[in-house]
Amino acid sequence: MQLDNDKKTAVTVMSKADAFAQAGKTAVLQNIQGTLQFLQRFPPFNQMENAHLAFLVEQCQLRFYAPGDSILKPSGGPVEHFYIVKQGRVIGERPDTTETTFEITTGECFPLAALLGERATRTEHKAAEDTFCLQLNKPAFIKLFALSSPFRDFALRGVSSLLDQVNQQVQQKAVETLGTQYSLNTRLGELAMRHPVTCNPHTPLREAVTLMHEQQVGSIVIVDDNKAPLGIFTLRDLRHVVAGGVSDFSQAIDAHMTQAPFFLTPDHSAFDAAIAMTERHIAHVCLVKDQRLCGVVSERDLFSLQRVDLVHLARTIRNAPRIDNLVAIRGEIGQLVERMLAHGASSTQITHIITLLNDHTVCRVIELSLAEKGDPGVPFSWLCFGSEGRREQTLYTDQDNGILFEAKDASEAAAIRGRLLPLAQHINQSLALCGFSLCKGNIMAGNPELCLSRAEWARRFAAFIREATPENLLGSSIYFDLRVVWGDEQGCEVLRQGILDQVADNRLFQRMLAENALRQRPPVGRFRDFVLTRKGGEKATLDLKVQGLTPFVDGARLLALANGIHANNTLERLRQLVVKEVIEPLDGAAYEEAYHFIQQTRMQQHQLQSRENQPYSNRVDPDSLNHLDRRILRESLRQAQRLQSSLTLRYQL
Amino acid sequence: MSLFAWLRAAKPQLDAIQQRRLAQLPKPATLSEGALRSQRWVVVDLETSGLNLNRDQVLSIGAVVIEDGAVDFSQLFERTLQRPETKLSPSVLIHGLGPSAIAAGSDPVEALLDFMEYVGDSPLLAFHAPFDQHMLSRALKDSLGYRLTHPFLDVADIAPLLCPEAPIREAGLDDWVKHFHLEVGERHHASADALATAELMLILFSRARQQSIDTPLALHTRLSQWKRRQQAPSF
Repeated sequence: MQLDNDKKTAVTVMSKADAFAQAGKTAVLQNIQGTLQFLQRFPPFNQMENAHLAFLVEQCQLRFYAPGDSILKPSGGPVEHFYIVKQGRVIGERPDTTETTFEITTGECFPLAALLGERATRTEHKAAEDTFCLQLNKPAFIKLFALSSPFRDFALRGVSSLLDQVNQQVQQKAVETLGTQYSLNTRLGELAMRHPVTCNPHTPLREAVTLMHEQQVGSIVIVDDNKAPLGIFTLRDLRHVVAGGVSDFSQAIDAHMTQAPFFLTPDHSAFDAAIAMTERHIAHVCLVKDQRLCGVVSERDLFSLQRVDLVHLARTIRNAPRIDNLVAIRGEIGQLVERMLAHGASSTQITHIITLLNDHTVCRVIELSLAEKGDPGVPFSWLCFGSEGRREQTLYTDQDNGILFEAKDASEAAAIRGRLLPLAQHINQSLALCGFSLCKGNIMAGNPELCLSRAEWARRFAAFIREATPENLLGSSIYFDLRVVWGDEQGCEVLRQGILDQVADNRLFQRMLAENALRQRPPVGRFRDFVLTRKGGEKATLDLKVQGLTPFVDGARLLALANGIHANNTLERLRQLVVKEVIEPLDGAAYEEAYHFIQQTRMQQHQLQSRENQPYSNRVDPDSLNHLDRRILRESLRQAQRLQSSLTLRYQL
Repeated sequence: MSLFAWLRAAKPQLDAIQQRRLAQLPKPATLSEGALRSQRWVVVDLETSGLNLNRDQVLSIGAVVIEDGAVDFSQLFERTLQRPETKLSPSVLIHGLGPSAIAAGSDPVEALLDFMEYVGDSPLLAFHAPFDQHMLSRALKDSLGYRLTHPFLDVADIAPLLCPEAPIREAGLDDWVKHFHLEVGERHHASADALATAELMLILFSRARQQSIDTPLALHTRLSQWKRRQQAPSF
């Protein structure tokens, strides 16, 4: 007796309404148990409650598909089932092509988007080999969706929820080896254990210093009657006082304090404090809540986190007396990054720090060069492009820089150029000594074509946008991420505004950029997991930078330029695109996390290579990653693919 | 008459409800000429106290249903039978059912009635079916006085019939599981073996359709022909 399928489904769901209660009470059937254990090897099932998982399994049917069998297709109407691959491999084919768009293997599930959207799938799902799928009917899927939050999270956010797991793992590891207090994410409120030492502005110097001495602190905060900080006086200030020949220590302290001290709230992180100290060359950060001083965090407090190597490094760089010293310090930056990675810092934090330290190095090199070669007597700004411009540098980067100056006309520009070029070339060479390899494409300030007045730069950029030759497109992908590292920033902002205005007006250029952004296809699908490049006899690998990050970087740049977004950083661009409602918040978050994960994987590779004295490379063998990392990498690359297909749609390519 | 009464086994003692349940069991349907997919099948595996067809007993029954072309996890059957008289024998090492598990099992009458209600009028499938068929028939006769007449197809025959290219002869379930790379949980447990057999059958049904064996009856006919050929003396 064969019941109509839908009717049967409805009946089972009703009769199973109390299945959870039962699953807990009665001994779980062997085959339910076995399937449960199988599912528990994979996210999100490994995070679901047993009762919910048992409900899922009890509602399932197990189906077999021979190679080539169609499981779901666009003509099949709204999707009625949720599938989990128990064994085998399912591939997706778009109706217009026979190209495989994705692959789903053991422990993975489909088709979430179509099921949640109550629509047909857009892709035909076919078995690529002998495949068993667990098939869950829609009413049971809905019920599970309502009951289990890990399941719901996964269904709604897909990869993103997996990334959370990795982050938890990473942090877990850091916590295991270091204890919770050693995290860069520690709240400053927890670090500033001591009551701050304070005095009022009229306190005599002698009294204030005595207080500091008694309390064994390096700073005293000067507060008003409401405990609002007015200034800070540190041992460094005391040195100035003494060196300045002050002998009257009965003077009021407010004449010698640093006014309006920098402050953060207790909810900021240790990372924020470390960055602030590095950026501002300060050793103490006041903590202020509701305009009242509630603590002071010193460089030494952060030292206990073994973190301030950062602050220390930045200071050493800024004070380096000679190029040789900077060369020596570069090695320490590598060690710092290694420690931070090991301590679970995120790739965003690390690129931020590398950028910061690199900026300091560049500034110091320029200052030292000016001192050595003499000031040319013309104000100029040092520009950087590419990844440096986007603040996405890893330790291993080429120089991509230029000079911007102001000139009345062409002849003045030529004259200034003549004066700046020897200095620029000297700076380029010095940077090379410090580990910034010379750019093979000669994108360097010492190149006369890149030492330009504002008018010349503007003309050059306008030509990029007007004449979309392949060279110009490539150029725009490097130069349009420009940023000032040293010197006045005004001119650069004017240039950027010009670029944004012209790109917004030029749909054709946007289209060309979009085509350009589609050149690097993320290596998923077609091949078992990844489409890998095999070089000679080497093992097949994928290029994390070109195949993984570039699609995000190119896509974000295009959308940012087209929508008047000033930011350079890819993640910042994505965030602002969400704010401007150019991309969906969920997509933005997914892109951001995917980008972040690929970058993190890339850095871990670099660190591994440097530890093993191997040449540095962006290529990774996916087999060398663990199961979860591997799967997330694949999902991250799929997000890159999604970003690209959204461009295809937007620009009708 | 009474002289021979002691020679016959005592008539099973069933209470009124059990009697009624027994009477209401559906008659087996004949193998249909409808689509393979629309046939409901019961895949069964038994654990017994040994391999002796006349002396050993059914200790547990595991079964899964293939319906609408899929194994339905909402229709799983699993019972351990209470067999107080079972002696500890070496087979315990295979099926892992210790004396305590068996003592904690269900009343065989109830378990077997449950099972036959679960089977309904569906044909049965088992790996090395003649053994299961014999042991199950005997248990049903002893406990319920019921004569099992359901069609019983042997997966150990269907597999080589539909996969002549498989390089295995006289293969056991393990060999086929390995051949198709099936991932099976704990083997030598009635339920897990029944599921493994059912997964194997899903593959075999797919093969059958590819070979234009579209109905249960056609499958049965082809199977009979194949068995006759296998038994014919070869020269």
